[in-house]
Amino acid sequence: MPLDLEKMEGDIFTSKGMVKAEFTFWVGLAMDKFYDGTTDQKFIGTKCSKCGKVFLPPRNRCGDCFAKAEEFVDLPGTATLKNFTITPWKITERRAKKGNKNALVGLVQVDGADSAFMTEILNTTEDKLEEGMKLKVVWAKRIKGHPQDIAGFEPVGGA
Amino acid sequence: MCAKVQPAVISAGFCEHASKRSDVNMAELVNEAVEDTITKAGIEWKDIDCVINGNMPAFEGANIPELWMTDHMASKNKPFLRVTTGGTTGGSVTIAGYYAIASGMYETVLAIGFEQQSCGDTSMGLASVALGEFSIMPELGYEYNKIVSNMGAGAAIGIASYQAMSYMRRSRATEEDLARVVVQNRRNAAKNWYTHLKMPTVTIEDVLDTPYISFPLRYGMVCPATDGACAMLFTTEEKARQIADIPVYVNGVGSYSNESAVLAADCAGAGQVDPSEQLGAMKSAEVAYGQAGISFPNKEIDYAEVYAPFPNQELMWVERVGLFEENTAAEAYEQGITALNGELPINCSGGVNSTNAIGASAMERPAEAALQIMGKAGNQVPKTVHTALGHGWGGAVNLITHLVMSDEPQRKFKGGR
Amino acid sequence: MERIGIVGYHQVRPELDLQMSPYECIFTAVRGALDHAGLKRKDITTVISATNDYYDGKTISNCFKVSAGGAYMKDESKVEMDGAHAAQYAMFRILSQNHKLAMVYGFSMPSCMPFECTRILELDPTFDRPISLMNSYSTCGMQMRAYMKKYGVSEEQIAEATATNWKNAAKNPLALQEAQKADMTAAEVLKSDYLASPLRELMYPLLGDGCTALILAPEKQALKITDNPVWITGVGNCQETYYFGERDLTTSLSMEKASEAAYKMAGVKPSDIDVAELFGYTACEDIILAESAGLAEKGKGDSLVAKGCLNPSGGATSGMTPCATGLNRIIEAVKQLKGEAEEHQVSGVKKAIASGQIGFCAQNNIIYVLEGGN
Repeated sequence: MPLDLEKMEGDIFTSKGMVKAEFTFWVGLAMDKFYDGTTDQKFIGTKCSKCGKVFLPPRNRCGDCFAKAEEFVDLPGTATLKNFTITPWKITERRAKKGNKNALVGLVQVDGADSAFMTEILNTTEDKLEEGMKLKVVWAKRIKGHPQDIAGFEPVGGA
Repeated sequence: MCAKVQPAVISAGFCEHASKRSDVNMAELVNEAVEDTITKAGIEWKDIDCVINGNMPAFEGANIPELWMTDHMASKNKPFLRVTTGGTTGGSVTIAGYYAIASGMYETVLAIGFEQQSCGDTSMGLASVALGEFSIMPELGYEYNKIVSNMGAGAAIGIASYQAMSYMRRSRATEEDLARVVVQNRRNAAKNWYTHLKMPTVTIEDVLDTPYISFPLRYGMVCPATDGACAMLFTTEEKARQIADIPVYVNGVGSYSNESAVLAADCAGAGQVDPSEQLGAMKSAEVAYGQAGISFPNKEIDYAEVYAPFPNQELMWVERVGLFEENTAAEAYEQGITALNGELPINCSGGVNSTNAIGASAMERPAEAALQIMGKAGNQVPKTVHTALGHGWGGAVNLITHLVMSDEPQRKFKGGR
Repeated sequence: MERIGIVGYHQVRPELDLQMSPYECIFTAVRGALDHAGLKRKDITTVISATNDYYDGKTISNCFKVSAGGAYMKDESKVEMDGAHAAQYAMFRILSQNHKLAMVYGFSMPSCMPFECTRILELDPTFDRPISLMNSYSTCGMQMRAYMKKYGVSEEQIAEATATNWKNAAKNPLALQEAQKADMTAAEVLKSDYLASPLRELMYPLLGDGCTALILAPEKQALKITDNPVWITGVGNCQETYYFGERDLTTSLSMEKASEAAYKMAGVKPSDIDVAELFGYTACEDIILAESAGLAEKGKGDSLVAKGCLNPSGGATSGMTPCATGLNRIIEAVKQLKGEAEEHQVSGVKKAIASGQIGFCAQNNIIYVLEGGN
């Protein structure tokens, strides 16, 4: 953790990047099963034991009933587009950058699930996006039990 | 001074603590403690009016993690407050829970403290406490090499060893005295279900056999880094009487800050010259005792939980908060006064020295104190506990929280004051 | 609820790059509030701060601000949300009758941190955070799209409201200088680049460094300090679920619940409210929050902006200081009630609301009902 002397210019002392800490998050009971599923290229959600809502990505607790949601259910690779946005910005926990290319970001509800998640929409163009359109999952080339196993979703029947 | 509405604790719960709770994520970890608390209290989660929580954000690397943990905290569509004050977070959350009830605004409040330290880099997080201060030192003419080599002083262990040195010089306590405190804590922890370091057979020699981390603190004396969560339920006096067998009334609270003890070079103030002096602790104790109507804490308090990750601090705190005379704590530990069956048992839960899930630690102190009064503690003392103290320490080594609890409501002074 | 008086306040004018140290900035605000109320530090009995470790880039940063905030050897605590949430904790402390005067301050320096990146750290670390598609821009964009589609609101209407916000900021002497755009038009807003369609760059507020302090007192105390305090008569706070796909973005459930609680506590109806200072990231969010607070029919909220009774100060557009924006809204509402708002004064204000928020698309809302007069 050396101090960066090069960064000292005039009166301004920049202490950028001095603190570097690595974080490793345990995925927990429900998400562990979910990533087991993605390695086999399928979606596994959980179902609330009281109201029967299905969550994908799964969680072991229903917020509305505060009841356990520990029953795992298999879900298909097809989905509906609930909402979308087109953004040139790529923001990660380290930097926010405006790129040259637009990304199509969709809020996608997998059929049979009551929750939705954000993912990229692939193999289509901006003007063809529409709420309620049918999508299917595109798996990444290399599957490794990681959130990025889901490369994105594409329109059913191609663009 | 007495609160408008008398707050009471009706339940306290924990999750299983361990150095790595790799089986669950942060939300599920907290959920275990919340579920334990609500089930023990025998109420519905819908009855909770407000949720107050906190942790040490920079240790897990998650900013305001409550936002995504809402559903797991029984707090969906409820009023919500996040209170963080470093090591004292748990104590500050507990005090916020007290005030939420005392204000009369909410009737049932769930307070949660948690930490999953295995996710992050705690030592690095603590070193960054000092980094802000270090960055100004070159301007003041310090050499870089010296700053970097001194950097360890920013972490808790550095401060604690300064504190240990000044305390030991003042009180003539020895290393054996420190080790004795550790042995008592670790043996107590072995009898409490959720604790982290359980060592039922540890001896003073074993502790003194470990190498120094930072003189005079040895490896065997230092608190572990734990994953864990704790929750408490607060409610009003009337409601507590209906729900709980033995409601525990919170009669006095205080949270006072001294100057930060880390470094004074940031122009933020004079700093603490003697880190074992602890003006903040004395002031918080005075205020909390005053509110609770306690004049002789050493006689009136039956049980105390003090926040002491390092053994020298346990000796120091029990003196500063008025449980023992100056420089006599070490002797009291030797005589067994503070043991489970002693006159004034201290840290029978095993204390922070055995289990330190930072955001939860300062809440586990009042929670354990309350459970001792209820008679439901994991390592219950044989005598009846009427009045107990829960203490927390942290922040930039400067903030102290105090809760005085009793099985009797606050003495009311009628006719103005 | 016993009413609580706001007896003093001070806002350090936000700047893109404030030439002050953090401690100096906090001291200026806190000292200013004490001077405004004509009080001394020793009169204050409790101090509540609102800062964030990630915004400050330092672990336990709030504990180093103790002396700058006038909290040395005072009964104090720290909230890590918006300043408006800290004000609620201060209210707890005053209503408990343990304290007589409470100082609240909110501070951050976004010029020293990548604010949008710190928001990524708020995400679910087991799924959303490694994907990093959810951020301030994409969520605000989706919110705007959902709202426009459901109620048939056009992009021009939102742009018009946004332009009004920039123009209002020009009348607000405490707005960020760069945000004071007196000649902004809807056409210009619509010409700026997309952040995340349909959200455009000029629809998103500028971040400014700053600090805001507020002094609260119980009724009896407040009347001793000042002749015309502004009263907090109601407060509501609510946090809805994080899971974005389960939220109705066209409205704000948390604001509905929070405002309901606040109105009930204050004993007022939404129609009694003359002016609203709400903390929404975008003009669209302002409108959604105002509709959810019952001030306008769903889908018709933009008329409030045109009428000038929603965010006459410009709202968050006048310069957003994370952790202090909610307090700024309260102060602006107080000024409206006291008739001290000068250029952006709305006439005949008797009751006002002010809100603060935290989380994506206002996951947690806190709202205050404020009333003037003795």
